[in-house]
Amino acid sequence: MKKIIGTVVAVIVAAVLGFAGWLFLGRDPMSFAGGRAVALEDYKGGDVTGVPAQLASADLVKRGAYLIHAADCQACHTAPGGVPFAGGFAFNMPFGTLYSTNITPDKQTGIGDYTDAQFLAAVHKGIRADGERLYPAMPYTSYADMTDADALAIKAYLFTLAPVHAPPKPDQLSWPFNQRGLLALWDVMFNPDERFRPNAGQSQQWNRGAYLAEAMGHCGECHTPRNPAFALDNHRKFAGALTAGWRAYNITGDKDAGLGDWNDEDIYLYLSTGHANGHGGSAGPMGEATDNSLSYLVPDDVHALVTYLRSIPAHASDLPRTVTTPAPASHKEGLVADSEPRGEKIFAGACASCHDWTGVSPVTGYATLTGVRAVNDPSATNVAQTVINGVARKTADGKIFMPAFGEGYSDDDIAAVANYVTGRFGAKGAHLTGGDVADLRKQASQHPNLQEAPHG
Amino acid sequence: MHTLTINGQSREVDAPEDMPLLWVLRDHLGLVGTKYGCGIAQCGVCTVHVGGKPVRSCQLVVGDVGTRAVVTIEGVGNTPHGAKVQQAWMEAAVPQCGYCQAGQIMSATALLDGNPNLDDSDIDAAMAGNLCRCGTYIRIRRAIKNAAAKSA
Repeated sequence: MKKIIGTVVAVIVAAVLGFAGWLFLGRDPMSFAGGRAVALEDYKGGDVTGVPAQLASADLVKRGAYLIHAADCQACHTAPGGVPFAGGFAFNMPFGTLYSTNITPDKQTGIGDYTDAQFLAAVHKGIRADGERLYPAMPYTSYADMTDADALAIKAYLFTLAPVHAPPKPDQLSWPFNQRGLLALWDVMFNPDERFRPNAGQSQQWNRGAYLAEAMGHCGECHTPRNPAFALDNHRKFAGALTAGWRAYNITGDKDAGLGDWNDEDIYLYLSTGHANGHGGSAGPMGEATDNSLSYLVPDDVHALVTYLRSIPAHASDLPRTVTTPAPASHKEGLVADSEPRGEKIFAGACASCHDWTGVSPVTGYATLTGVRAVNDPSATNVAQTVINGVARKTADGKIFMPAFGEGYSDDDIAAVANYVTGRFGAKGAHLTGGDVADLRKQASQHPNLQEAPHG
Repeated sequence: MHTLTINGQSREVDAPEDMPLLWVLRDHLGLVGTKYGCGIAQCGVCTVHVGGKPVRSCQLVVGDVGTRAVVTIEGVGNTPHGAKVQQAWMEAAVPQCGYCQAGQIMSATALLDGNPNLDDSDIDAAMAGNLCRCGTYIRIRRAIKNAAAKSA
């Protein structure tokens, strides 16, 4: 009997340790590349951190301005319509709501009194000046890779901003998630708190791309699935995840679900402008990442990101291969609405004038639906979110706009039109219900100040 | 400087890339038959033809027109279907206040250009994005059918 109990205990212990080890091993975002990681000063391939060569002699604040764009601090530290960096952006999560904080140099409510050491502790370790732990909504496990010099350049930039008095909004989290102290355990497990270590076997361009993607842009925070402890599971690096009610797509080399079928130029254009012909445009959180961050990177840095993305091993996910042929010009061909014409009727009245019955927009390539990942996603998550929230992007080419239909159309209407659009232009039609759309509305982190569509 | 082909004529326009075609037509070229309605492609009054397709000119920026020919309400009467649609419009006395009618005629003409053998469902699909606050929809449908009958 004792023997049996002993064996059972041993098996349980082994399983727990094995699982913990598996979680632990999944935390390194660059282990997929193999090879040997070396200390930054031991890497002989050239500079991979800091600002690009053309800014090398710029002053500290200018360098900080470039780096704060690369790290995309603004998207989360700004409430919709609010003062940049004054915080108040809501993260709606299954266990409650968190708000981003004010990182303007206000002494009472911002970071005006932070020393360099305190700022580095927040960025690298997720520890505030008062010693409390930050929630990993602040991507400090990614920023841990950032060099001290780069983090302090960002601080120098932030300290040139006008201080804004904006007290932190109280978080609304359920027990036990409201116990910040517990994060100490989480941090031991999931934050290696180690600065970027270049891969000696990879080119400077690859390492620069890795630094930009991991330490600065923190792409994995949305694009990498999370493990049961809500830490990034790099066993499935960049395989796609649902974040804030939007689907961050698979950006691995998978041909069906990922970027395997994109050429380098398309990826370059998508990153730098938020649009590539035949692949559509970014919207939602990726639209923000484009407009606040990626569009500010110099061409060499975007090329470095492309090189790095190209090296990510393919992970399949549940998305079908993207349909790249336009739908027929007549509404009577292709997907035909029969028993449930609501989606087609809404499309005819509100959508067809810009998106066309073929899906190829006569107005702008940004509005072409053919070949767009979201339209080929049978969950229709991003289609529904785009219909609800619209698109309001500011690009180098001017404003990119789609009305927000969330206030003018019911949940059932939005479900019907999302199902119709994915069925007509994508690989497989969705089966959203009004209830699903109501859930998506709740998950979206924000309700930006939108220009509403008229009631339809 | 943009060179546009409008109603068969080449026109030079000095306007920013991101200016909507509607502004160019009305403010730069004096073609005020095309109206401004909602400004977000949801009412259809600003419809013109670009490369043969009905397009909401409030959303198409001039820099994206390219070499595609533009036809407005001022020129559509010189096209075979446009002439028939306008004639049918008069015979059915379609307009009430008239504000949306330029857009209605442009959408109806594009519909006939693409498919002269149309039925109610084709009319619904092509015209659903053109709103008429006076509710002339029944007369619009009749006029399109009459024009189609004369085109067939």
